[in-house]
Amino acid sequence: MSAQHAAAQVRDAIDNLRSQNVKERQLVDVLALSEELSSAMGTFFTSIDQSVRDEFAAISQFISKARQEIGDLRPTDIRNKRLPAAGEELEAIVQDTEVATEKIMQTAEDVLALSPEHCDDYDQQVQAKMLDIIEACSFQDLTGQRVSKVVNALQHIEERMSRFATEMGIEDHESPEEPLSDEEKRRRDLLLNGPAIGGPETSQDDIDKMFDEGNDVSQDDIDALFA
Amino acid sequence: MAVDLSMPVLVVDDYKTMVRIIRNLLKQLGFQNIDDAADGAEALDKMKTNKYGLVISDWNMEPMTGYELLCEVRADDKLKKTPFIMVTAESKTENVVAAKRAGVNNYIVKPFNAQTLKGKITAVIGDF
Repeated sequence: MSAQHAAAQVRDAIDNLRSQNVKERQLVDVLALSEELSSAMGTFFTSIDQSVRDEFAAISQFISKARQEIGDLRPTDIRNKRLPAAGEELEAIVQDTEVATEKIMQTAEDVLALSPEHCDDYDQQVQAKMLDIIEACSFQDLTGQRVSKVVNALQHIEERMSRFATEMGIEDHESPEEPLSDEEKRRRDLLLNGPAIGGPETSQDDIDKMFDEGNDVSQDDIDALFA
Repeated sequence: MAVDLSMPVLVVDDYKTMVRIIRNLLKQLGFQNIDDAADGAEALDKMKTNKYGLVISDWNMEPMTGYELLCEVRADDKLKKTPFIMVTAESKTENVVAAKRAGVNNYIVKPFNAQTLKGKITAVIGDF
C-alpha cells in the first residue's frame, strides 16, 4: 500500500464521520486535527516515497555504470591474454639473453685460449670469433622488441584501471600499513633491495672512501652519504 | 710479500654466468685455483672442508645470502680471518655499512670491470 493511498483512506474515514452529523465539539476538533495530520502525513510519505525512489534509481544507475565499466576493463582479456602474453615475453627475454650470453662467453673464452704460437691462422680465427660475438649481440634487438610488448601490455592495463577509477570516483584511502609477509620481512632484515634503477645508489668511489685504510664508518660519514 | 696465485679462491654466486665472468677475470689476473658455490650455505660447507685464501661473494642469494655467509664466517674461529670481498648489485648505503660492520674486507658494486676487481683484491690481500 502506498503512502498516498493510506492518506486517502484516512481522509475518507474522516469524511465519513463528518457525514454522520456528529455534534459533539470535541470529536469535531479531533476530526479536524486528524484531517490536518493525515494531510501532513500524506505529504510526508509522498516526499519519502519520492526520495527513496530517487535513491534506488541512483543506485541502479551506479550499478549499471559499474557493470559497464567493469565490462570495459575486460578482466578476462587481461587475465587470459595480456598478462600471460607478457609473462611469455619475459620468459623469452630471459632465454634469449641466456643463449646470447653463453654464445658470447664461449666465443670469448675460445679467443683467450687461442695462441698465436700454436696456430697458423690466428688472425683469421680471432676475426671469425669476433664476428660470432657481433652476431650474438643481435639478441638485443629482439629483447628490445619483447620488452616494448611487455611495456605496452602494462600501459594498456594501467590505462584501463585508471579510467575505471576515474569513472567510478574511486579514491585512494589512507589505510594503516599492511603487515609484511614473511618473505617481505626476510628481504627487509637481510637488506635484499636488489639493483637500483639508473645505476648504483652509492658509487664505487663513495664505497672506496668508506674502505680506505683506517677509515671507520662514522655516523657523520653515513649522514653525508644519505644527504 | 707477493701474493701466492695458487691459493684457492672461492667465488660464490647463484648466477652461473657471473661465476664464469669472475672465474675468467681471476684467471686473467693469474689465479689458478678457483672454486665456486651457488649460495652461502654451499660456500660455508666448502669453507669448512677446504681452506680458501680469498672469498668473493654475491649478496643476493637463496637460501643463505652473502651477508649471512659473511656473518657466519666472521663468527667462526677457524674461518673468521678469511679475506672476504662482496661483489653485488646491492648498492644502498645501508648495505655497504652493514657489510663493513659485519667485517667485509672490501665491497664491489656491479657492474664492475677487471681493473676494479684487481684493485680491490690488491687492497685486501696485497700486490700480485
